[in-house]
Amino acid sequence: MKKRVTLIFPKRAVHMPVTYRLAKDFNVAANIIRAQVTPNQIGTLVVELSGDIDQLDAALEWMQSQDIGISIASREIMIDEEACVHCGLCTGVCPTEALSLDPQTFRLNFTRSRCVVCEQCIPTCPVQAISTNL
Amino acid sequence: MRSIAEINDKIQRQQAIVWTVEEVKARVQEMGVTQVAKQVDVITTGTFEPMESSGAILNIGHTDPPIKIRQCWLDGVPAYSGFGAVDLYLGATQMADYPIADGTDGEGSRERGGGHVIADLIAGKPVQLRAIGQVTDCYSRASFETTITRDTINQFYLFNPRNLYQNFIVGVNGGDRSLYTYLGPLQPHLGNAVYSNPGAISPLLNDPDLQLIGIGTRIFLGGGIGYVAWEGTQHFPLQKRLPNRTPIGPAATLALIGDAKQMNSRWVRGCYFRSYGSSLMLGVGVPLPVLSEEVVVHCAVRDQDLVAPIVDFSIPRRVRPTFGLVSYAQLKSGRITIDGKIVRVAPLASIYLSRQIAAELKDWIETGRFTLTEPVAQIPMDRSFLAQDRWGTQISLE
Ligand code: SF4
Ligand code: SF4
Repeated sequence: MKKRVTLIFPKRAVHMPVTYRLAKDFNVAANIIRAQVTPNQIGTLVVELSGDIDQLDAALEWMQSQDIGISIASREIMIDEEACVHCGLCTGVCPTEALSLDPQTFRLNFTRSRCVVCEQCIPTCPVQAISTNL
Repeated sequence: MRSIAEINDKIQRQQAIVWTVEEVKARVQEMGVTQVAKQVDVITTGTFEPMESSGAILNIGHTDPPIKIRQCWLDGVPAYSGFGAVDLYLGATQMADYPIADGTDGEGSRERGGGHVIADLIAGKPVQLRAIGQVTDCYSRASFETTITRDTINQFYLFNPRNLYQNFIVGVNGGDRSLYTYLGPLQPHLGNAVYSNPGAISPLLNDPDLQLIGIGTRIFLGGGIGYVAWEGTQHFPLQKRLPNRTPIGPAATLALIGDAKQMNSRWVRGCYFRSYGSSLMLGVGVPLPVLSEEVVVHCAVRDQDLVAPIVDFSIPRRVRPTFGLVSYAQLKSGRITIDGKIVRVAPLASIYLSRQIAAELKDWIETGRFTLTEPVAQIPMDRSFLAQDRWGTQISLE
């Protein structure tokens, strides 16, 4: 199974070869989605972990024991109200109709509960008003 | 009924009665054309949509020693410099030649074009300028680099060769792969449809024969004052028309001009269409003086009375096949039916902002800040379309 997590490294753990340990000790593959690591500072890493469910849990437990912060926060769509011009172009590609135009005011409506984070809307927006939080 | 001079007199006394075109449409339903025409002096219309045939003229001022610019880049985007020494013309769809050194990654700067640079200047942001000169006896400088803002250059005005399309098309994709177009992404197998004209609130659909709008008409352009300069490129007034005189596809266009230093970034936005390129989203408002009842008759047109052709982009030809005509009432419902299939349809013009422009212009006129002009010449209404016509006469009324 796969799990997308954000890892937060304290200064002293930045040098730890985490992905190597995950692979060797737990047989968990870590696909790095985004990384922000500078020597001697707090680093963050968004990874997609894949492996056997028990080993995944063991790997997460081990990382916690190493003071690595773990957040299982899910990706969410963000709409920049200032940038959005309510053109509606994104509503035509959104498969779930999470994005729609109000039939009276023609303002953009975003119904977060319908969004499946397929991200189709992101490159569609001509003014780059749509992004993800991670 | 009333003349433009009489209307201006009332505007100056802040007594003019000004309604947005949507208010007019609603009131015609309630009280009829004659009553509305008696009451209202000026009707305001607006649109906010990508207008890619837009560009900015800039004069950057002379350097010491002076330079005759032959090649020039603004934030990496080439500007045309084949005029006098330091005159530049920056087009909205021009893409960057090289990434700018602001730390954005390659993808970010590829998505920036002339439209973004114009919008940044209007927003008061600094823009990097690089110029290469031709050394002559009077212009001895070979190159120049600096940072400009709208306050450090002389003239900065938009001169847009084609804006305010009178009606447009609806794009679909009947093929089997995704297409990236100037209407945004079109998904295969009629996966979505996009229209780009705001329909019944659009300025030129409310003056279908351009009886009121002409050369010299003062307008709202990007939040400042602008003027109609000329007929637009690809102006095609002879497009087929419905009995209400509105065209069934792309028809008249206008060239617009206006001082960019007065414009407001709220109404001028750079934009980028994935795998197509950059453009400029621009707000334009046009006032229509109520000189006769006929003006109100034309402004009463509703979305169900206006149509646009559905054009299949999967065939990359000048004359593309169409799936017939669809009304703006259907388009604005968000769903249309093509070949028995229900297709989601999205606008590209911002109806929300178009309405705000009509309201803003109404406010300018009511408070005496904007008076009307008499056109100095009419826009020709007999231009035929030469072979470059992309969608002209193959659109039939059936
Ligand atoms: S991510 Fe997908 S589902 Fe969510 S709003 Fe965008 S297009 Fe719709
Ligand atoms: S495509 Fe972008 S600008 Fe247009 S409505 Fe959607 S979020 Fe807003």
